[in-house]
Amino acid sequence: MKLLIVEDEQGLRETIEKYFTEEGSICEVCGDLKTALKKIAVYEYDCILLDIGLPDGEGFAVLEYLKSSGKNECVLIISARNSLDDKIKGLNIGADDFITKPFHLAELKARLMAIFRRKTFGSSSTLDYNEISIDLLGRNVRVKGDALILTKKEYDMLLYFIANKGRVISKNAIAEHLWGDEMDMLDSFDFIYTHIKNLRKKLMELSGKDFFTTIYGVGYKFV
Amino acid sequence: MKLAAHYNKASIIISVSVLLASGLVYYLTINHIARQQLDSDLSEEVGEVINYVNLNQRLPRSVEFDEDLTSFVKTNLTKYDTHFFDAPYANPKEKKIEQGRAVTALIKVKGENYIVTIIESRENTEYLIQIISAITLLLTAVLLTILIITNRYVLNGLWKPFYYILQQVKKFNIADTSRIDTIESRVDEFKELSDAVSKMSSRVTTDYQGLKTFTENASHEMMTPLAIITSKLDMLIQDEKLSSDQFAQITDIYSAAGRLSRLNQSLLLLVKIDNNLLRDTEDLDIKTVTLEKAQQFQEMIGNKNIELDMSLDSLQVNASKYLIDVLINNLFSNAIRHNHNGGRIKITLSGNQLCFQNSGDNKPLDENAIFERFYKSGSSDGTGLGLAIMKNICTFYHFEIKYQFREGMHCFLVAF
Repeated sequence: MKLLIVEDEQGLRETIEKYFTEEGSICEVCGDLKTALKKIAVYEYDCILLDIGLPDGEGFAVLEYLKSSGKNECVLIISARNSLDDKIKGLNIGADDFITKPFHLAELKARLMAIFRRKTFGSSSTLDYNEISIDLLGRNVRVKGDALILTKKEYDMLLYFIANKGRVISKNAIAEHLWGDEMDMLDSFDFIYTHIKNLRKKLMELSGKDFFTTIYGVGYKFV
Repeated sequence: MKLAAHYNKASIIISVSVLLASGLVYYLTINHIARQQLDSDLSEEVGEVINYVNLNQRLPRSVEFDEDLTSFVKTNLTKYDTHFFDAPYANPKEKKIEQGRAVTALIKVKGENYIVTIIESRENTEYLIQIISAITLLLTAVLLTILIITNRYVLNGLWKPFYYILQQVKKFNIADTSRIDTIESRVDEFKELSDAVSKMSSRVTTDYQGLKTFTENASHEMMTPLAIITSKLDMLIQDEKLSSDQFAQITDIYSAAGRLSRLNQSLLLLVKIDNNLLRDTEDLDIKTVTLEKAQQFQEMIGNKNIELDMSLDSLQVNASKYLIDVLINNLFSNAIRHNHNGGRIKITLSGNQLCFQNSGDNKPLDENAIFERFYKSGSSDGTGLGLAIMKNICTFYHFEIKYQFREGMHCFLVAF
């Protein structure tokens, strides 16, 4: 996957670049609107991570350019403003999703993968990962051909883990993914533990393989 | 009482009392002058009688003195002081008793002493006094009427700019962008007042807007560093060579960053409600929203073995979906967070009242303090803004939110 990261904050830009590059994607970065427009004009990307608040203008200009030149890149907007107006404006002029700072890298990755899949393969795609095969339209999961019955949360979590395969995902990131900011409760970690335990058990029953690694107290890794 | 009424009262009291006092002084003065006039008339009469007696050496007949009543009484007194006094006057023509003025004096006729008494009618002077009183009264009445009319119409007209300014000050809302405009008035004081109020309002509005923008910007600016912290942590934990102790510390940093971010979001939400930035309203059924939220919180409720008891009627409300979501969300999250294992939550929605009751601490909360920003009861691990946000949402929509402690249950009542 070829990715353009448009973010003016160097620390954030580098971290995102590192997280996505290790995955095997090709990342290009830039820190202002002018360079971003130049790059888009010259190169083709699969996805663009676009910060709205750039030093030389609003990131919306990139969206307008893409729209006017008929390009079809996936765009995920990153904004420091959790503003409904910005969200609506962005989505209206062609952005595919909107994420508010601060976010977890795992969440960013999962969102990006989702819009990339949706745009590249349409909605009838099947996602395969080792023995696991997921029909994204029907939300059906099969392991080695056998149907795996998952709850909604377990299904969400499985997709989230597959998008971030091989990465350590913190419990905080999982909690935010599953419940959003609405669940600011300490005991949500207990629920994550329960959900992961169940998912792990179900996957193990069908595949005979343990996909999860527990990383001390901090989180989990899906391999 | 209005200023015009005060002014009316004062001016009427003063003018009535001045008029009455001057009327009284008038009356007394005229009375005095009239009496002196009468007395000098009577003295003349006495002089005439004496002249007559000296000339004719006999007493005159009563009728010879015009309409004055004259009587002569023989006396043994040799010395008698002439004196004047009030006496009734019997009008011989009209056969009635009138007020009169009399004089008695001593005259000598052929070596005999007589006391002569002459009574003159005061009818004419009384009449004069009556006319003067009537004119005074009439003047008083006319003056009062004019005063009242002047006060009512002229003064009210003059004060109109003042009431206009007052109206605008009353309507003034610091969060609005509308300003108080200056008005044209012929009265310098009102013009000055209007200018001052207008300047003050625009200054206050500008300051307030500046402060709001600052709060909003500050909160937003904090999001980017927070994003850096979070993403760096996300990167850091990829390093599996870290010790479990280091991972434990990272977890703590995660939690702190998460809390900071939630705090920031709550502050932003408060700013947005205060600034009326969430204006998209739609028709919502509180019952539906509550049921949705109950579904969302099911896991948490189940985990704490809380018994949830709901009896909900339908209730339509026109409001922002987002804010109502936050409101119901906070009600639920409070009721669960401050509950104990195996506790109870009872939700009733009837009429326009939504009531969340939950078991928990056996002590009532301080109902005056709980809606304050950053209020936290001892065991709370939240941001301390949840209830303040609820209160703000309710104030924004003119809903009423109350806390009660009854029968060992904490109860939050929202009247839509």
